[in-house]
Amino acid sequence: MTLGKNTPGRDLKAHYLYLGLFMFLGLLLLAANLYRLQIVHGEQLRAKSEDNYVKEVRVRADRGMIKDRRGEILVEGRPSFDVYLTPAFCQRCGEEVVPKLALWLGWDQAQRARVEQQLHEKHGTQRFQPMPVRVDLSREELDLLNAHLYELPGVDIVPVQHRNYRAGPALAHVLGYMNEISQEELSRPSAAPARYFLGDYVGRRGIERAFEWRPCPFGPCGLRGIDGASFQYVNARGEATRDKSGRIITEDKLLPIPGSNVILSIDARLQAEAERAFPGAAGAVIAVDARTGFLLAMVSRPSFDPNLLTGRVTPAQLSAIARDPLQPMVFRAAAQHYSPGSTFKTITLLAALRSGQFGPTSTVHCGGGYQLGARRWRCHKDAGHGPVDTQTSLKVSCDTYYYTVADRLGLDAIAQVGRELGLGAPTGLTHLAEVPGIMPDRAYHDRVTPGGYTKGMALNSAIGQGDVNVTPLQLLMAYAAIGNGGTLYQPQLVRRVEAPDGRVLEEFQPRVTRRLELLPEHRKIILDALVAVVNEPGGTGGRARLREVRVAGKTGTAQVAQLGKLRLKKEQMEYFARDHAWFVALAPAEEPEVAVLVLNEHGGHGGSDAAPTASAVLSKYFELKRSESALFGGERPEAPPLNEAAPPAPDPRAPERLPTTSPAPGRAGRGDGP
Amino acid sequence: MIGMQLRFEKRMMPHVPWGLVLAAVAVALIGIFNLASAARAAPLWHSQAIYLGVGLLAAGLVAAVDYRFIQRMAVPIYLANLLALVALRFFGHTAKGAESWFVLGPIRLQPAELMKLGLLLMLAKFFHDDYRPAQPSYGFRRLLLPAVLFLVPTALVLVQPDLGTAMMMLLSSLTILFFARVRWYVAAVLAAGVLVVAGVLWNDYLRDQPEPRFTLIRQHLKKHQDGRISGWFDPESDPKGKNYHSLQSKIAVGSGRLTGKGWKEGIQTGNLFLPEQHTDFVFSVWAEEHGFLACLLLLFLYGVILVSSLGVAFSARDRFGAFVAVGVAVMIFWQVFQNIGMVTGLLPVTGITLPLMSYGGSSMVSVMIGIGLLVNVAIRRHVF
Repeated sequence: MTLGKNTPGRDLKAHYLYLGLFMFLGLLLLAANLYRLQIVHGEQLRAKSEDNYVKEVRVRADRGMIKDRRGEILVEGRPSFDVYLTPAFCQRCGEEVVPKLALWLGWDQAQRARVEQQLHEKHGTQRFQPMPVRVDLSREELDLLNAHLYELPGVDIVPVQHRNYRAGPALAHVLGYMNEISQEELSRPSAAPARYFLGDYVGRRGIERAFEWRPCPFGPCGLRGIDGASFQYVNARGEATRDKSGRIITEDKLLPIPGSNVILSIDARLQAEAERAFPGAAGAVIAVDARTGFLLAMVSRPSFDPNLLTGRVTPAQLSAIARDPLQPMVFRAAAQHYSPGSTFKTITLLAALRSGQFGPTSTVHCGGGYQLGARRWRCHKDAGHGPVDTQTSLKVSCDTYYYTVADRLGLDAIAQVGRELGLGAPTGLTHLAEVPGIMPDRAYHDRVTPGGYTKGMALNSAIGQGDVNVTPLQLLMAYAAIGNGGTLYQPQLVRRVEAPDGRVLEEFQPRVTRRLELLPEHRKIILDALVAVVNEPGGTGGRARLREVRVAGKTGTAQVAQLGKLRLKKEQMEYFARDHAWFVALAPAEEPEVAVLVLNEHGGHGGSDAAPTASAVLSKYFELKRSESALFGGERPEAPPLNEAAPPAPDPRAPERLPTTSPAPGRAGRGDGP
Repeated sequence: MIGMQLRFEKRMMPHVPWGLVLAAVAVALIGIFNLASAARAAPLWHSQAIYLGVGLLAAGLVAAVDYRFIQRMAVPIYLANLLALVALRFFGHTAKGAESWFVLGPIRLQPAELMKLGLLLMLAKFFHDDYRPAQPSYGFRRLLLPAVLFLVPTALVLVQPDLGTAMMMLLSSLTILFFARVRWYVAAVLAAGVLVVAGVLWNDYLRDQPEPRFTLIRQHLKKHQDGRISGWFDPESDPKGKNYHSLQSKIAVGSGRLTGKGWKEGIQTGNLFLPEQHTDFVFSVWAEEHGFLACLLLLFLYGVILVSSLGVAFSARDRFGAFVAVGVAVMIFWQVFQNIGMVTGLLPVTGITLPLMSYGGSSMVSVMIGIGLLVNVAIRRHVF
């Protein structure tokens, strides 16, 4: 190595210049890019850096309450705490946080696996969304988690209101329940302006579902309300920035709009009495205002506890409900149909009167059955009722009389009246699911029965057997229509929707489905006969008799199983083979204002196993009515009195309509039966 | 260490490139100052100060050894580094999906950082030994050996995977090759190579074509690497996912504007929006808190280091010294360019540290050894 011409520095001389220039250009490019970012776009990027750390925090709207007719709370919000996990902020999630949560919250292996699976599935922006891992902490769990919160990055304890269904299973089918929104529902575009997030609860049934969200005449309303927001300064981990004393710094708040309250037409006291007085394991008790169609009580048994379904229901509990042979989730009042049995005879009777072939004095001889062709149709009284006139036919529920009617009229005339009274079609019960039932006619039998229609089918249908199937609610509304002079109302559950401050947002008026042709003399014949059923010696519904009010009613004992010649007592039969016990009542008989139906599924006899319940409900109704009119002295009370036909006028300045305080009827009419 | 020829002579002192040393120490001090803000929760700047001390010591030690000894040791050093990279495949500590660490008690060593030095010494030795005054420029046949010399360690670093360091080693080596004068057709082939890469990127990332896309290379990339390249082309496409770094870093840099938000006042920094803000993204903290002017100052200091290094190379006693000095300059340049380019959104996000600024002992010590090599070459320009 020597110095000289070939010294390495020499031959690469120009290259130093090129390399230097290249590097200079490189640094210049960096400087130019910095100039572009910091000087040209600096303003805009600074604004971005400031948005960056303002986080919108949801302020949940309180969900509205569900109240009864008088404002008694049926469903309300109850403070509770849920646990949320935000994957993006959860450090050492799988190794530490989840095992700790599992330990402290007592998760089983399956639950823990589910959370780990969810964690694993979150990608991208989803990792910034808090996901619920536990709802409704117990007091002990809350204390435990709060004490260890610093060991659980990404875990938040969020105060959330949970639903409290005060009466538990009572009215559960009507009120409904709530549960968590599914991922699939979240991705669906929602009509409601209130957005849903993972972990939110949605009404799943009944009022909770129907009133989750609805457009009201005076703006948006619904149980859900509209969430508000507050704006917090947060760091990249999502932790709120705090001042020196540890207070969270926020910007202005957008206040949430709390959900509206839903006021039902149900009277909680009457409901409680109906629940108490109903002895059956399964069945329904319904009371309706016969002049408006507003429901006053609605028992469907067996029921479920919405508190359970809305909270931490375990898969075992769910499958226990699903496996229950009595099917507690089925809403028997409207979503299940049954043979009406003898309660249907009222409808057959109306058809008979309308045909003109039967009058009040038409008499049929009952020899214990009716011969049609080669077959004999048996009356429920094997010895026969002897000569039976129209009124007696209903009073003693003589089958032979109605076989005769059916033989002469055919099925279509009966079906015509049944359909006019709303059978075979949904009643239009607002907000709840129902089934249409079956009102068979010739065309129906020609379609579904092998061999087509025969006269025997009319005979069966005339006494409420055969293919006639009604829901309890349909039957009740039909009786109410006869009682009120021919107006078939649409049954309704909700009186109004109110803002939390009591402003009426939406008001429901009685809705008429149909006004049917019902001659006053026909109505009188039928009502008198129904009064005889309850009040006359030998009537099948004697146990529904009340001292203070005259009750009209009809019993029914619907056969479920085909029985042989031998008639068995209730106790001798398998539960599911026993008869359904029906009773439908109208009171006061002179001008019916309330209609009550009792269905005791597999309960036995209408007269003994359904009528007493109806009697208790009616008794309670009139007791409440008396106490209300005594209490308010005829003045207009806050809540509409039980006997007020129309709901209150929305404008308080409108001339006051006094409630129609009819003098307690019943006493005067006692004993003047035919 | 027998025969290391450790000696300082008085006559060497006037040749110490003080501008270079001062600029390097200034950048390192700025780095420590900046770290105190970048890592507010943990006092990382304490450790960084210790690393600087260790680095200066190492630089002094390297400067003291006659570089002719280092020249003799170039091959063993290179081979030892290769061995370390291979060993990493078996004994390495995995962090953030890449095996790039050796853990020796309290010391965590990144062999890739030292490999850079080994590589530049090896290349310098090659170009020194291969010098043929009659054939000054290199054609393909003569470039075969240096190509193997730099492609092997580059490949080993790439599979760690450490795309950033591999890129930097590739670019630095090519720059040194060009510096050593290549034949025109080599330049033409490389230019064609650049075009091919651009074409592949265009086909795999930019071209509008129906799904499933026909891709050439993309399907072989790791998911995060693929995401970073596509994020580089369209940073707004997934702001909370794969492009999070790039976008947040640009916001941080831009929001600094002319004079910055003030030391420890950075919002992006203070609220931890930027991951790796004390290592790979440390420049964003500087840019956010001190603004454009301070960034220019930093670039100027890097410029001083580069120009002084080229000066050292220019006046080096021999070809080995010249190539070592050029090599150090080129590596520092590419690292600065890649890092700041990445932080400001000019280049895709690849893990690479900013020399003297980023937190980390391996990086600090390796750059300081480079500075020591430069001093070494400078002070021995007249020593035979």
